[in-house]
Amino acid sequence: MQKKKSRPDHRVYYWMILPAIFIYAALYLYPAISNLRYSLTRWDGIGTPKFVGLHNFTNMLTNDDLFFKVLGNNVRFSLLVVTLQTAFALFFAIFLVKNTRTTIFLRTLYFFPTILSSVSVAMIWLFLYDPNFGAINVGLKKFGLNSFALNWLGSENSALYAIAFTQIWFHTGQMMVIYIAGLQQIPLELYEAAEVDGASKWQQFKSVTWPMALPTTAVVIAYTTIQSFRAFDLVYAMTQGGPNNSSSILATLIYLTAFNEFRLGYAAAQSILMVITIVILTLVQRRVIRTKYGV
Amino acid sequence: MKTKRIASFGALRLGVISTLALALVITPLGVGMAASTPSFGKSCPTEGTSTGTSSKSLQCTKNSSGKLTWVYVRLGSSTLSPVPALSAPDGTIEFWHWRAEDKIVLQSIIDKFEAANPGTYINQVIMPSGDYTNTAYAKIRTNPKAAIFATFRGSQFAQFAKGDMMTDLNSQRYTKRNVVANGLVAGQYGGKQLGIPYQYLFNNPVYNTAIFAKEKWALPTNLTTLLSWCKTAKAAGYTPLAWSGGFRPNAGQILNSMLMNSAPDYATLQNRIEAIDTGSADLTSPWFTDMANKYKKMADAGCFPENATGVTDAAALNLFATGKAAVLPTGSFSMGAVKAINPDMSGKMNLFSLITTDDKPQYVGIHNNTFILSVNKNATRTNQKIANAFISYLVTGSIAGIYANATSQHVNVLDVNYTNVDLLNTSAWQAKKTLLAPRFLWLNQGVRDLVEDALIAIVGGKPVDATLADFSKQIKQKLSA
Amino acid sequence: MYKVLRTLALTTFAIAIVIPTAIVALGSFKSDVEVYSKPLALPTNWSFRNYNRLISDGGIFTNFKNSVIVTSFSVVLTLILASMAAFAISRMTNVTGRVLFGLFALGLAIPGQVNIIPIYLLFQRLHLTNSLLGLVLINIATTLPISIFILTSFFRELPKEMFEVSAIDGAGPFQIYRSIALPLSRPAMGATSIFLFVISWNDLLYPLLLVTQSDKKTLPLALLDYRGEYATSFSMIFTAVMVASIPMVVMYLFMQRSFIAGLTAGAVKG
Repeated sequence: MQKKKSRPDHRVYYWMILPAIFIYAALYLYPAISNLRYSLTRWDGIGTPKFVGLHNFTNMLTNDDLFFKVLGNNVRFSLLVVTLQTAFALFFAIFLVKNTRTTIFLRTLYFFPTILSSVSVAMIWLFLYDPNFGAINVGLKKFGLNSFALNWLGSENSALYAIAFTQIWFHTGQMMVIYIAGLQQIPLELYEAAEVDGASKWQQFKSVTWPMALPTTAVVIAYTTIQSFRAFDLVYAMTQGGPNNSSSILATLIYLTAFNEFRLGYAAAQSILMVITIVILTLVQRRVIRTKYGV
Repeated sequence: MKTKRIASFGALRLGVISTLALALVITPLGVGMAASTPSFGKSCPTEGTSTGTSSKSLQCTKNSSGKLTWVYVRLGSSTLSPVPALSAPDGTIEFWHWRAEDKIVLQSIIDKFEAANPGTYINQVIMPSGDYTNTAYAKIRTNPKAAIFATFRGSQFAQFAKGDMMTDLNSQRYTKRNVVANGLVAGQYGGKQLGIPYQYLFNNPVYNTAIFAKEKWALPTNLTTLLSWCKTAKAAGYTPLAWSGGFRPNAGQILNSMLMNSAPDYATLQNRIEAIDTGSADLTSPWFTDMANKYKKMADAGCFPENATGVTDAAALNLFATGKAAVLPTGSFSMGAVKAINPDMSGKMNLFSLITTDDKPQYVGIHNNTFILSVNKNATRTNQKIANAFISYLVTGSIAGIYANATSQHVNVLDVNYTNVDLLNTSAWQAKKTLLAPRFLWLNQGVRDLVEDALIAIVGGKPVDATLADFSKQIKQKLSA
Repeated sequence: MYKVLRTLALTTFAIAIVIPTAIVALGSFKSDVEVYSKPLALPTNWSFRNYNRLISDGGIFTNFKNSVIVTSFSVVLTLILASMAAFAISRMTNVTGRVLFGLFALGLAIPGQVNIIPIYLLFQRLHLTNSLLGLVLINIATTLPISIFILTSFFRELPKEMFEVSAIDGAGPFQIYRSIALPLSRPAMGATSIFLFVISWNDLLYPLLLVTQSDKKTLPLALLDYRGEYATSFSMIFTAVMVASIPMVVMYLFMQRSFIAGLTAGAVKG
């Protein structure tokens, strides 16, 4: 009642949202909800799903070291990618915010990996990381840095980080462009004023760029987090999660549980725990950004 | 139309006759290959040379006294002559498989088939093997157009069979008369012939004959000579085995050879593998530990490449194709890819017995019958007929020969003339005592992956006992979930 | 100090991009043996053998066309639907607005690959498999959350007074959206379209799931096929990467100008 009186616009708003919500609900939410149903079953994708209650969840929490290992991998992977990629993107954006011939050229270059397909990127880095022929190790050995020439994707200690680095290489340019768009919104007067006050570049960054770019940072971080949880293509094409699941992330674990082992009910349950993890992480992030910087 | 009716009448008559004939020759059916090889008697110069695999073909093989003689090829099928292909009704179907590298030759065969059956069309649907394993089942099940499809021997075939997706081909005449009888076993399930295993391949290491000749190395014949050969080869600057520890599907091929002589007999081996597969035994059992220790010994002797766990399939292939590695431990199916990288390798490859026991070996190699072709039970009757006709076409000797020679792959079909030099060189292996690849006895893909990962970790330098205990725990958790 | 740091950082990343690119570009003209033995050297003789083989295999141009069609329709339609919805959500003051926003935000967290069986069964029923329309629809459905997420936060940043003044002038919500919110949000829309473009262009999962006919395959899927077909040949894989990327790079370089102009135009006004 009250809605109608005070906010007659709302009806128009509903109409504006309707097409989006319709497609989204039918093609995304509905399958997701079916998945919720499957998570309570044992299902091999062939017969009829058999209802097992919360068994999948209790098993995962009490009898599945692999799940926790992979969850840990995923958190490490995400933290690394989010921190480094955001930092790189911000710094490159600051360096390249002005429009000159060189900066435009470098922006174009940095964005370049983004337009490659993820399968291409995976294949390129699979080649670069080859422990015996790959350009990285061949280069390191040429400079006498033999002890740095690791078995990148073949060792449990380095595979996850090697893929994280590829992910950063792949997407930093994209985030940099977002940052440039954000930084160019900052009024130049603020910098001029800071310069008049004799502020150094670092002080300018601390007092002007960082606070003014916070909303952009929030978007970049939120997006990078989700993107890192979905780095399915790279992991799947480069290591399939190996060796010994050291580079598995939740997305590949779920995919392989469902389609390599045909435990679709269990995979559905894993994916629900993954959703919960992401939601918690995102909320924590927002809380931290909000309380620390008052955005 | 008219010709078809005549053809089917002819087929009916032939069918009656052949059923009678079959009843008469039922005894020789299924006779083993090596046991009853009749000798042609004349001595021959090079072991392995053959004139084909038709019943009149000759092969150069060592006889019991160790002399090289020409013998008749006998592949354990009936002595009836093969039947021609069936004709297909009009319509369009899809042929699902994962062999992207066979796309072109299969298309040329399809073109011929379509020319012989105007109005019939077959479209290939090809997925990379990993994705085929993962999604083909769901996709084929809901797609009645996919009237003919291929499956891997082992977990995938079992999955489709359990899902009641294939028609029984037992009553088809080509099944009994065109296909190598021993090779049919891989397509059987619950007493039915649910598919025709098309490929007859050797999941056996391949070696570079030129390097062995140049270095004057003798082929290792037991574990001791294998280990000392590894040391010699490594000292000479070669990678002994171009093993791709970074790519599980290929890394796991060697498991076949490692298992080959690990148990007193096939039944025991089968029981032991099933026990691990179902969780009633684990990897710390003496039998498995013993085998794992052999991996360790081989790793210590330098058999595997540097940074073995990070070597991709492509890198391993390259090591072998460029002559940096002496042995490629995958299978005969890799020979085509080797030649694609380095055409000079043509004719310089043969199969290598990887024997890891010092006792008398029971088997000298591994074979596998896979690329199992089936007719989709959910397809319409007409589409099933097209699919069946196409299978009957593929199992005629001349067509199978086109496929075999183009792909460097033996086929499970009789009366094929192999002209490809590498197939000729390895044809003799069809008469040796080889074991049906035991790796595919693991029907639980998740368990098999863990088993292979454990062995990869051991080659990578992890301690044997701790690794086996760790992976046993993982398997246990997986099976109890 | 700042200058040195800046130059050092910029050069390092530039090299990190140029070297792999060079390896791929040069590798496509080499034999496999050479790719492995001298990845960075110039080919001893420039051979188009790999390209000939790839092109005679056919199909890659169709795949490219499919990718362009799917990506452009997905991006444009998503932008229209998402900007309308985001505008409405940012303007709604009641609980429903927040609930709807939360609903879309939840979509960000649900990993696509876990829904693929239900999605596959659903699309099969709707006869949307092996159809570019199906790919466009699933792209829209999966990218709406991120677009609405970005655009809503941008719309919320816009000064409210601006809308209120127009509302007093008698403009309805839709007119305000079209004539005020949209032009103002050009930088945000630009940024979002890059996101969307990247997601659609790279998407492997849904084409893998929904497309089997070779004439409906998109580039990433075709590349995966090439990987299967030439798994053992890096020179062929590099050639496929090149053929798949060159038209894109040309288009990207061509559009780069208007792209930068769009970003700066927003900055000057903001």
